[in-house]
Amino acid sequence: MKEEFLKKWQMGLQIYRPLIDNTSVSERRKAIKLSADVAMASLRKGTTCWSRALIQKTATEDNFLVRQMLSGIKAETLINKKLPKVMCHRKIVRRSKKILRRRQSRSAIEEVAAKARKLVKKKTQGLRNVVPGGEFMSNDVLLIQETLDYIVSLQTQVNVMRSIVDAAEAGSERTAYYLGKLKFAIEDG
Amino acid sequence: MSNRRSRQSSSALRISDDQMIDLVSKLCQLLPEIRERRRSDKVSASKVLQETCNYIRKLHREVDNLSDRLSQLLDAVDEDSHEASVIRSLLM
Repeated sequence: MKEEFLKKWQMGLQIYRPLIDNTSVSERRKAIKLSADVAMASLRKGTTCWSRALIQKTATEDNFLVRQMLSGIKAETLINKKLPKVMCHRKIVRRSKKILRRRQSRSAIEEVAAKARKLVKKKTQGLRNVVPGGEFMSNDVLLIQETLDYIVSLQTQVNVMRSIVDAAEAGSERTAYYLGKLKFAIEDG
Repeated sequence: MSNRRSRQSSSALRISDDQMIDLVSKLCQLLPEIRERRRSDKVSASKVLQETCNYIRKLHREVDNLSDRLSQLLDAVDEDSHEASVIRSLLM
């Protein structure tokens, strides 16, 4: 999976190649991050909710890049596919449950269990905020399945990026060191 | 007991407890914080979910940081220098 990610990421950066020398650092940073995200998401070939949501989100920031990177992997359908909207429905269910709950009287054990469930619900809501497309996953099981896959993909992304950056930093330091020595030698003699 | 009653009242969003337990344990295996604990320590579901959120945010921050460093590197080198070609060959 690491090699695949790297290849796709490199492809994304190639698209920026002609522009990269004339852009600001922050634009470059954005390009690097966006291509890394699309590369990560495209590995899933549209089979997970989070990857589709991430591609759509990136497409709103840089449509051109996403289309280029996905050309050949049903780019159009991935970008334009409508994600299901279940948010409103959930609010209504939640409100009616609240009313129902107020009417029921409860034992101490039920209170504790209810508090625990409430805490879990709060935490799953937190999860929905960090996983792309999470707000559309009303099913908790789906949410956690998606989270598992998302974490594994994120770990790959981070590991590959980290090795590249470490290598590049080490490389440039070493080169700078030797260049410095060389310069010194030339100036001296 | 209370499980059965709650199962009847909230059928709309009901999921099996076994499924949740299975998924939560899979999450545990991914989270470095929780993996390092002693096996005998039980971790509550909400703690696992909290750690998951924290971990994902941490990974996001790392990606941002790495993108930052990379863009700085590309910026710091002269176009024609050897360093530039090293970095470009790694990336492009």
